[in-house]
Amino acid sequence: MTPDKVEKMKKALMRSNTHLLLSAVTLFQAAAMLLIAFQKEAVNPQALILAAALPLVTWLVTALMGRVWPVDRAILILVMLLCSVGLITLSDIARSDVTPRTQAYYALAGVAAMFAGAAFIRRWRQWKKYTPLLMALCLIALLSPYLPKVGIYKYGARNWVGLPGGPSIQPSEFMKPVMILCLASGFSNRPRFARCLPTIGFAALCCGVLLSEKDLGAVLLYFLTTVLMYYAATSNAFITLSGLGMGAAAAVIAYRALPYVQARVAIWQNPWIDPQDSGFQLIQSLIAIGSGGLFGMGLGMGMPRDIPLYHSDFIFASITEEFGLIFAVGLLAVYVMIIMRGLIVAFNARTSFHSLAAFGLVIMLGLQTMLIVGGNTKLLPLSGVTLPLVCYGGSSLVSTFFSMGLLLGISSMNAEDEARDIETLELREDVP
Amino acid sequence: MKELRRNMRLVGTLVVVLFVGLAAWFAMTVFTQGSIWASDVRNSRLRASNSLRGDITDRDGNLLATTAEDGTRQYLSNAAARRALSQTVGDIAGMSGTGIETFYSATLLDISSSLTDRLSELFKSARHVGSSVQITVDGRLQAYIASAFPQGYRGAVCVMNYKTGEILAMVSLPEYDPDDLAARAYDQVEDTAYLNRCLQGLYTPGSIFKIVTLASAVSNDAGVVDQTFTCSGEWNYDGGHIVCAGGAAHGALDLKAAFKRSCNVTFGKLAYQLGLDRLRATAERFGFNENFKFGDFVVYNSAFPKEVDSMNGLVWAGIGQGEVLVTPLHMAMIAGSVANGGTMMKPWLIKRVANSQGVTVTRGAAEPYRQVLSPSAASLIAGYMYETVKSGTATRAAIDGYSVCGKTGSAEVSDDKTVETNAWFTGFVYDEEHPYAIAVVIEGGGAGARMPSELAAKALGKAIEYVG
Repeated sequence: MTPDKVEKMKKALMRSNTHLLLSAVTLFQAAAMLLIAFQKEAVNPQALILAAALPLVTWLVTALMGRVWPVDRAILILVMLLCSVGLITLSDIARSDVTPRTQAYYALAGVAAMFAGAAFIRRWRQWKKYTPLLMALCLIALLSPYLPKVGIYKYGARNWVGLPGGPSIQPSEFMKPVMILCLASGFSNRPRFARCLPTIGFAALCCGVLLSEKDLGAVLLYFLTTVLMYYAATSNAFITLSGLGMGAAAAVIAYRALPYVQARVAIWQNPWIDPQDSGFQLIQSLIAIGSGGLFGMGLGMGMPRDIPLYHSDFIFASITEEFGLIFAVGLLAVYVMIIMRGLIVAFNARTSFHSLAAFGLVIMLGLQTMLIVGGNTKLLPLSGVTLPLVCYGGSSLVSTFFSMGLLLGISSMNAEDEARDIETLELREDVP
Repeated sequence: MKELRRNMRLVGTLVVVLFVGLAAWFAMTVFTQGSIWASDVRNSRLRASNSLRGDITDRDGNLLATTAEDGTRQYLSNAAARRALSQTVGDIAGMSGTGIETFYSATLLDISSSLTDRLSELFKSARHVGSSVQITVDGRLQAYIASAFPQGYRGAVCVMNYKTGEILAMVSLPEYDPDDLAARAYDQVEDTAYLNRCLQGLYTPGSIFKIVTLASAVSNDAGVVDQTFTCSGEWNYDGGHIVCAGGAAHGALDLKAAFKRSCNVTFGKLAYQLGLDRLRATAERFGFNENFKFGDFVVYNSAFPKEVDSMNGLVWAGIGQGEVLVTPLHMAMIAGSVANGGTMMKPWLIKRVANSQGVTVTRGAAEPYRQVLSPSAASLIAGYMYETVKSGTATRAAIDGYSVCGKTGSAEVSDDKTVETNAWFTGFVYDEEHPYAIAVVIEGGGAGARMPSELAAKALGKAIEYVG
């Protein structure tokens, strides 16, 4: 086999056939945005720009990233799809044009973060050496909301930092990928329990800090991700189950000790007890979901603004109202597809660090989606996490894009490794 | 690495399975409960809706509510019939929360219509017309029962088909006029007229609860039917005493005679003999203490004491006093389950929902709720109830040519007898062709249950005539 042929094969392997997917996604973006642009008497210029910009950026990002690195394009396109569903919904339901515009800027920053994430994970070789540093960084960042002046108390939790009047960010969002990298590094190479202890201690500290900040959703996510990554890395069922048991015990204690946890659970059990006050949010969410029916009220036809936090915590309910049940289930299917593709990335990774990192990123994405969707639909108590890539908010969006960048970076390394394998195999066959 | 992959596959599969489960659960609940959520009075989309409400019809297709050309909502022109159906049909202002107008408002307005509907309306530029709802109630029967109800009394009558679970009539008095809401004239009516007493009236059952006590006794000990009890008119036991109605002393009697003469002493002893746990187990089997979720409407939950602090509580619970509470609909279900060989049917109200094109969207269907009794116990109790109508306390409920079975009750609602007792009758027509169960409660109807028995005979007679 000539080197030319090998090169061709490498290319073919790297580029899975995703043209159809890309076309469908860009068509959806353009059509939905055009609909929003022309639905009122006056044309909405911002939506018109987005109708062109969204497909263009999606196409550009896919083409560019796919040329530079042999990433898994399906994941990339689906990530762009989720992000645009968020932008479309916000353009449709937000009170002013500022919200979707801000989100669009966040999305651009997110795309940059995605490239940065992919580039970073491809270059980063000395993870063992830098892990303690990263852990320290992570803890400091999580503690930063306690700093005077910059720490902000918002929506019943102390988990924001920012300058008064300036932009504010949520460290617990940004530290998600950092934490997963630390865990993947600490748990890699099949360590004994004793050698895992520092990493477990670090995770416990993170959870403790978040709990003290009342960021319950983040605590739950960090905890479950740690336990599941530990299990995958060590197959130690006993420690895993004890960890889960301790988590359950902590949940019971938290329920007993913390009135706001009790309140959340009570609302979840029966929001109709207090329909005007504490149960209002969830009831309005269910009303919106129920009003949507199978096919939705239609873009711009619903009234999702009746739900408090319709654009952030309850965006899934807003989407269900506007687009309908079938679309909402389809949206969940998109998450499942990303998760399954992501798991394949984890299976194919060559080092246990990369494998665990990909696994952790995917699992956290899945758990987070389940928590918030379950919370919106009264399957689980509401825990205030974001719907990844869709819900309004810069910290979460940029951080999730960065996580997806890490995942894509790992997928590109897998593809290169695989191509290299084939190359060596073919060369061997050439020897008579 | 191999092990890592295996573990990742395991956890990954778990997450994906959970995800699929979540999606399935979500789709299922929205599909089944979505229209109920959307019908919530707090849903501002309903007020904002530009659609014309669909029709409400009774089981024979007679219009109960319709929207005129000019968009106004019209109810029956006959004032008495309109009022008789007030809480069942509801009203445009949503005063009766259980009415179809309110509880099915999202369906009647069809706020999230199908794609084809929307397209066709777009081309015809017509105002969207909502779905129409057909209910299982017979309008004529309900109007008749309301007219036959003793003048000046409050109460409720619930008639259902015990073989299918269809609700044929739900009369609740006082009623109101859905066409006369402007002045909110009924807001000041004591014990609000907006309440549907069949679903939301929690009453002390009194002696009609003896059906459940009897069921518990014969299910737990078949020999009890041969036991002889002695009634001296009163029974003094540790911590209290119980008397028979009117101070009657029934002497030595067996269970059948005790049932048909409604002997409190015997049934108090029977409850004591059974003990709270067994009696409660039977009551809960019949649906007491259960969170009813029937789907077509909201019904309040019946209650049976979970624990009693003394023997007194147990004895009084055995004759349906104390903390025992029941709705008329549930009582009709209990009587119906006896008639139906021990199978309680799930009650339903929505016969058919059709979209504006007349295409059926959903159709109600008979569905067993639970086997509450063995067929042999059910037929034994039905026999006792037959005797009660034939030669016991409920002779006035008899209808010529049909075997009516029943039980009367007069429930004490005050401790010191200052308030007249609530008069009850519950029973059924024991007939394959006319499987109708009924529960009648007349507030302050007095002892002897003459009024409810007579009303039940009239109502069941008309049900046979109208429904067939």
